[in-house]
Amino acid sequence: MNDAERSRSQDNSRAKFEGCYRAPVGTPRDAIQREVFGANTGVNGYTTIAQADGLAKRLGLGPGKRLLDVGAGEGWPGLYLARTTGCEVVATDVPVPGMRTALARAREQELLSRVDCIAASGTHLPFRAQAFDAAVHTDVLC
Amino acid sequence: MAFYTIFIPPGVSDADRKRILALGDPPELASTSSERDLLRSAGFVKIEEADETQEYLRISRGYYEGRERHAAELRKLEGAQAFAEGQENRRTRIGFIEAGLQRRSLFVAARP
Repeated sequence: MNDAERSRSQDNSRAKFEGCYRAPVGTPRDAIQREVFGANTGVNGYTTIAQADGLAKRLGLGPGKRLLDVGAGEGWPGLYLARTTGCEVVATDVPVPGMRTALARAREQELLSRVDCIAASGTHLPFRAQAFDAAVHTDVLC
Repeated sequence: MAFYTIFIPPGVSDADRKRILALGDPPELASTSSERDLLRSAGFVKIEEADETQEYLRISRGYYEGRERHAAELRKLEGAQAFAEGQENRRTRIGFIEAGLQRRSLFVAARP
């Protein structure tokens, strides 16, 4: 795939997900998430709560650890991992509406002291090397 | 690093790849390079893979069935045609997963 094709693909993905993230939050979307995942803690995509717990265990997340969540959408699973493990999280994704929702959720959950949300592409991350102890991404397109 | 990813497994024919991409998936999904090879070439070591396809299939069916249960509300929100096309897309994708044409795995890798 050349640079032009990659850029077009990223534009398409961004447009698709910006549309999704602008959709009204609440029923029926939340109801479906509750039915599929057994809980509604901002879960979306295909990563279950058990799988998110597995990520935390595999990466040894806990207080003092700094995690990068690439392609975090509306903050899943980064916010959940910050809340359940006590680690710091930087969540990134391209669609700005998703990052706004993630930031609002971080505020609601009183996680702002440990969570940052940054609109950035996984292909051009604005961080210095060695800035994180661990990184996750779940079904990320760009 | 740990990540979940959906991919077309090795051995899938070009014709089936085209059918999968016709669902609107990004062309990156068509890569014939394995995740292991990509991780290795990027310098990662201790690469582990755990197949999570059955859970992916369960969640995919759950979304499809959940959307059917809430069809009336979703048709109002999305429009009848978009809802129907979305459900058809999901049904087709479930068929691809059942046929082994799409998989989802957890990869865990470390820097040396």
